[in-house]
Amino acid sequence: MSRTGALRVFAPSLFVFALSIAGLLLGSYWQYVLALSISAAVIGTALAMIVSYARCITIATGAMLAIGAYGAALPVVRLDVPFLVALLFATALGGLAGLILAVPGVRFRSHNLAMVTFVFQAVVIIVLRQSKGLTGGAEGLPIPAPVVFGFRFSSDADFLLLCGFLSALVILPLIVLLEGALGKNLRAVAANESAARAFGINVNRHLIAAFVWSSAVIACAGAIMAPRYRIIDPDSYGILASILALAYPIVGGMGSPWGGLVGGAVLRALPEVLRPLADYLELMFCILVVATIIFFPGGFGSFVTGTFRRKPTKLETSAGPEPRRAVHDFISDMNILGRREVRPPQDRSRSTPILRISGVTKSYGALRAVSHVSFDVTAQTIHGLMGPNGAGKTTLFNIVSGLNASDEGQVLFDGTPLDDVPVESRIKLGMSRTFQHAAVFDKLSCVDNVLIGLGLNDIWQASVRSVHMAMHSQRARAERKAAMAALDAVGLAHRARDGAGSLSLGDQRRLEIARAIVSCPRIILLDEPVSGVSVEEAAGLRELLLRINRELGTGMVVIEHNISFLVSLCNRISVMSDGRIIAEGDPDVVVNDALVRRAYFGEREISA
Amino acid sequence: MLSELLMIVVGGLKMGAIYSLTAIGIVVIHKATRTVNFAHGAFVLCGAYVTYGIVEVLQFGWWAAFVLASLAGGLLAAVVELGILRPIRQADSFAVITATIFIGIGISDIYRLLQNTEILAVRSMIRGAPLFIGDAMITREQIAVVGGAMAVALIGVALFAYAKFGRGMRAMASNPRGAVLCGYSSDAMNALAWFVGGAMAGVAGSFAAPSTGVTAELSVAMVTAGFAAAVIGGFDSLRGALLGGLILGVCETLAAGYVSSAMKNAVSFLLIFIILLWRPQGLFPEAKIRHV
Amino acid sequence: MAISTRIRRRTVLQGMGAGVAAGVLGTWPRQASADEKQGITDTEILIGALGPITGPTAFIGGPARDGMALAIEKINEAGPINGRKLRLVYEHAATPAESVAAAKKLTENDNVFILVLASGSTGAAAAADYVRSAKIPTYNIFGATPIIREPFARNVFHGSMPDPVVTGSGMVDEVFKAVPNIKKVGVLAGTYAFPQANLKAMTPILQKRNLEVVLEQFDAAATDYTAQLVSFARQRVQAIIVLGSFTEAGFAIKQAPDKGLTDVAWVLDGSGTNDAIVSIIGKENSTNLRGYYNAPYFPSQTDAPIQGFMKVWIAKYGQPPQGRPNLYDIVAYGCTYVMAQAIKGAGRDLNWTSLMDSWEKLKNAKPSDMGGYDVTFPETVTSTDHQGNKLIGPAQIVNGKWKVVP
Repeated sequence: MSRTGALRVFAPSLFVFALSIAGLLLGSYWQYVLALSISAAVIGTALAMIVSYARCITIATGAMLAIGAYGAALPVVRLDVPFLVALLFATALGGLAGLILAVPGVRFRSHNLAMVTFVFQAVVIIVLRQSKGLTGGAEGLPIPAPVVFGFRFSSDADFLLLCGFLSALVILPLIVLLEGALGKNLRAVAANESAARAFGINVNRHLIAAFVWSSAVIACAGAIMAPRYRIIDPDSYGILASILALAYPIVGGMGSPWGGLVGGAVLRALPEVLRPLADYLELMFCILVVATIIFFPGGFGSFVTGTFRRKPTKLETSAGPEPRRAVHDFISDMNILGRREVRPPQDRSRSTPILRISGVTKSYGALRAVSHVSFDVTAQTIHGLMGPNGAGKTTLFNIVSGLNASDEGQVLFDGTPLDDVPVESRIKLGMSRTFQHAAVFDKLSCVDNVLIGLGLNDIWQASVRSVHMAMHSQRARAERKAAMAALDAVGLAHRARDGAGSLSLGDQRRLEIARAIVSCPRIILLDEPVSGVSVEEAAGLRELLLRINRELGTGMVVIEHNISFLVSLCNRISVMSDGRIIAEGDPDVVVNDALVRRAYFGEREISA
Repeated sequence: MLSELLMIVVGGLKMGAIYSLTAIGIVVIHKATRTVNFAHGAFVLCGAYVTYGIVEVLQFGWWAAFVLASLAGGLLAAVVELGILRPIRQADSFAVITATIFIGIGISDIYRLLQNTEILAVRSMIRGAPLFIGDAMITREQIAVVGGAMAVALIGVALFAYAKFGRGMRAMASNPRGAVLCGYSSDAMNALAWFVGGAMAGVAGSFAAPSTGVTAELSVAMVTAGFAAAVIGGFDSLRGALLGGLILGVCETLAAGYVSSAMKNAVSFLLIFIILLWRPQGLFPEAKIRHV
Repeated sequence: MAISTRIRRRTVLQGMGAGVAAGVLGTWPRQASADEKQGITDTEILIGALGPITGPTAFIGGPARDGMALAIEKINEAGPINGRKLRLVYEHAATPAESVAAAKKLTENDNVFILVLASGSTGAAAAADYVRSAKIPTYNIFGATPIIREPFARNVFHGSMPDPVVTGSGMVDEVFKAVPNIKKVGVLAGTYAFPQANLKAMTPILQKRNLEVVLEQFDAAATDYTAQLVSFARQRVQAIIVLGSFTEAGFAIKQAPDKGLTDVAWVLDGSGTNDAIVSIIGKENSTNLRGYYNAPYFPSQTDAPIQGFMKVWIAKYGQPPQGRPNLYDIVAYGCTYVMAQAIKGAGRDLNWTSLMDSWEKLKNAKPSDMGGYDVTFPETVTSTDHQGNKLIGPAQIVNGKWKVVP
């Protein structure tokens, strides 16, 4: 297991370096082309982080390349700084540029973010062109051959090896992050932002990190390649360079870093290979990209791996072994792993409210979605929340979990007001949730979904965990074991490696539950956990939830329309209608309450 | 001093009117189909090229050029929508936006291959003695462009707001399924919206041709300016796009005149950036409440 | 049995490893080496050229290719040169990086005999180091930049375009011809390589002539010059020198009257003096325009050589679009003939040394020496001065068309 894991992380670097060695057998012109390809492979891998994983459109690649190229060349030319030092400086400068771009930029998504990157691109080139004294302006800046430890890399073969070696080095940390927790978090953000946030992923910070890392690597690629061009000018790094680079991950494959890597290597070499068609090349390029988007969405890489991916058999798709023992195993695993200490089942009458909702009101314009709602949820109990459609239940959940802010009122978690606690921090307090429309991260595997549920997702944690995952350390193994245990508890251990998108709806709901329990939370908010699920599966889920509640001591608040399910599951039920609580108490009593019946059925009370 | 300012402002308004037309086309497409069309500049180029053909090659009149340029732009846009974008419309905005970026470049490349010269010059729309306001000279062409472009823009805005198909497009944008249930055809509405947007771009190209000439670079320049104008105005507001274009044109020329000529291009970018940061809903936002 | 398969597998692996190692060591380091006699067969000489076919400077590379191809076709028709015909291989190169790549490819991959830089100053500057180190005979037909000229290299020759000091002085002379008592001149320069090289050479000349200079710049392919023109008007310049292409100059001139610049003299550089500018500014506004031309005749003049050239151009390429053939068609055509003469003078025993010896003996070499039309200035080269042509043609618009008015 660890050997394949290590291979996964080192493979791209080895591939790039092997390419450069293989190039020694070629003529010098092809060695030059190969160096270009390797450089583009690095760019493509970096773009995989922004474009493939975070699904952001960036048109700033050219500017980052320019920052790297000039950032390394100017110190060497003007200050006699050694090449490797200048390279490090240029890489850091690229990271800084990424930060400057991303901090204001990530407030936006989609076309506005693309526009911000475009602005950055244009302004950088204008500045470079105007600063003639510093950069030589439009006439260009001649660059000497790189000198490392006294050795001058002047021939094509020398340069190819240097380029291959440095590129392999710079790709490595990128791959560690991409294959590790950071990459998975980015893909989670792209899949479902709300769910990602609910499990501790700060979207803006993750996007900023993605931009910083990729920009640093792209700048490094620009700095490595610049001496080979012998002269650089700002217009080579213009908008067209950015747009063409965008094609690398799109055509190569959006599912993995290899897509960007191979996409970059192949697409960059094409103009050299197809030189007789120089006139038509750009047009062919555009046609290729558009055709890929239409006919091979996800790029060639995804197309190829999709053809070879094993489709799960019928036997495997059905529900797994009984959850009964599995939950118990989960708990003991968590004990062994030293996770949050499990509270033994307590006498409920002595418990304090784990969740107190007090006077919460939320309006959308003229519509009062939630109106002065107050109720308490006792620790370690299962509290139901029901009501006709449009009653405001999900809105209330969103307020409790932090995705929306209330206009009035307060939510207290174990006595602490949650007013200033952002949604990303609530998982650490011990609150997790599921969503009305199964919000699994469909492109990630089941086990990866659950790993995110651990909630260890702030930027530094994610980065450190990525390194742990790459090294397959004990900590990484322990986390994985916890995730597998949670999957086992819901009966999905046999689907651990499958993509969450390939699961049936019922299984996706189970997956959400696994994701919600793995952090051993003190309370889970479940939004319609059995909606759209068969009767048998609903029974199975009910069993599971009861066991989790009993044995793990996790409280729950459950929204459901399936009234018999709610009654058989909950200790207490609140009923909402038109934004207000209209009844609360024992399930059997509440269900027969006249107001409740009128809200649901419009029934007029028949006096006894 | 004042006359110089006036001349600069009028010069800015002239380009600004062209930007307004372009921006309105972008906003129409966005309002109706929720797509940001980065290929819009290519439609402007198409209109400009057709104008060259009509006015310079065939030597017909300018009215013919306007009509045919708008038809050409509209048809090109409709073809792009029906042929390329409809199949991927189900996908997320990422796919559509990237597709439009590359379609835009592809179309300008096709133009470059078809017409292998650097630039095609188109003669001015109106000749004749210029007008004088004090020391400031205002040419008839400037008046014609500003007046004409604004007239077309206002017609476009009015159509979208009041005419039946305008209502249909707005219905489709806010609730596609509902609109379909009411009898509107989703495909037809989308194609119509793109046609209208493309037609506006085509006319913008007609107005632009004498001032900028017909070149492959026109498409990038116009889509950048159009987008900037749309952002300034508030992306979903037609009125905003109209005013945004004028503001952009005037700011560009003022900056170039009083700060430095290199600033001219930088101005549109900086304006986009500042507006996005300070007032992302634009200067003239259309009230829109989105429920999650 | 198990042991023998293990041993066999091990030897196979060892063998493979040795093979790979041998392959690596044997082929590394691999230096590019170009050869004195490359590109020559018994019947053919391969000429390589690079220049921008697409992009904002496409008005240079496309016509260069066409001009060279036309000349080569005619030269081959007239008969092989010492038994060999010429063949052209052309590579697109717009940016500096592409120029270096194209130069390397042509020299080391296609093994051309002569490398022609038809790429303007950016490309020439970029390829300069490479061609000097590769020692391939290089013909720089368009590049004004000093980077390709200094330091002197025996294998680099320069064609019709003189260095920017010559053209700069020429333009300043034109300014004084237009406004004899001029005190204040505006300079409108593009920010890309070619105009900037010209600007750099021209500035000291302007200072030496005691002129006050107002400098405004524009980005390549800009179409709106309101700001720059307003600045010129504000400072009341008496003449404006435009360093840029004919489209850029054309729009500036067209927009000038509405900014108050009604009585100003315009002086354009070699890329501005193109008949297509008249379509942009209108015939009635084309007075008070001067410039220089890097050839003795404009395409629209009636003199016999240029008429002959137009005939063969149209025969090969059909009716010309607006603005073609332009200066670059003409210069590429003429320079190709000069190059052919150098080849001819080297005799049957052709190699780089004999070629360069022959080239350095050229005196007033012109196309008609080999049956072509004299549409370029004659070239004279010596062993210490490789600048073939040092003349420029002063030009004015007469009846809506440019004319060289000596």
